[in-house]
Amino acid sequence: MLDVWDLPLRILHWLLALSVLIAWSSANVFDTVHEIAGYMTLAAVALRLAWGVFGTRHARFQNFIRPPAAVWRYLVQAARRQPGRYQGLNPAGAAMAITLLLLLSVSTISGWMQLTSRFFGVEWVEQVHTWSSNLVLLLVVVHVLGVLAMSALQKENLIAAMITGQKRRRES
Amino acid sequence: MKAPIKTTVIALSFVFGLAPAFADGFTNCTNAPKSSWKPASEAEAAAKAAGYEVRRSKIEGSCYEVYGVNGGKLFELFYSPEDLSLKHTKAK
Repeated sequence: MLDVWDLPLRILHWLLALSVLIAWSSANVFDTVHEIAGYMTLAAVALRLAWGVFGTRHARFQNFIRPPAAVWRYLVQAARRQPGRYQGLNPAGAAMAITLLLLLSVSTISGWMQLTSRFFGVEWVEQVHTWSSNLVLLLVVVHVLGVLAMSALQKENLIAAMITGQKRRRES
Repeated sequence: MKAPIKTTVIALSFVFGLAPAFADGFTNCTNAPKSSWKPASEAEAAAKAAGYEVRRSKIEGSCYEVYGVNGGKLFELFYSPEDLSLKHTKAK
């Protein structure tokens, strides 16, 4: 077993999951909780973005970002039950991570904007927040299903891997 | 791994099931049918008359929710669509 996901990455991942879940369940129901969860999410996203530049190998964006064509090719192969050998993030997982981080940035920033005097009650800000947040929720479902599918395909517990940080060694 | 899963399920049930009970949003301002409601613009006018800078309004349950700014502070004002009485003020 290899150490793949470092501790900061794992902590940030689960912190992000928790704060998004809290924000989701408190939306339009419990404003104060929703706002706090939003700020937590914003902080976690910012830290993850920084870690993607300064972190260990498999945390770095440079290590796993691929062009869209490569993501598509990967999905086609995976559908044929050939997931390939990626020690860290595969191209599809990478696309998901980047897309989620971008959408979360839009969601948290537009949410924060709504609490400023300038943008309070401004409709386009509210719509951006609603749309980006709903897209996040949709992708979270896809993300969870994707992780479960890849775990089955690779015969590896990827959820456990995000807790322990360890995966089976793959030849590069 | 069983205890953490059970705990998580219970926690999530609490959050999704009971959270609305702790809701701090106002959604119940009238029982009058929608056909008898006054227009939302009158709720906005009431807020403006009370000294707020009105940004916009929307329907929230059976309330008119008006977004108002007063003295640099942000407020959500909940009016009854039936008689335009102010039911609740929430400082943001």
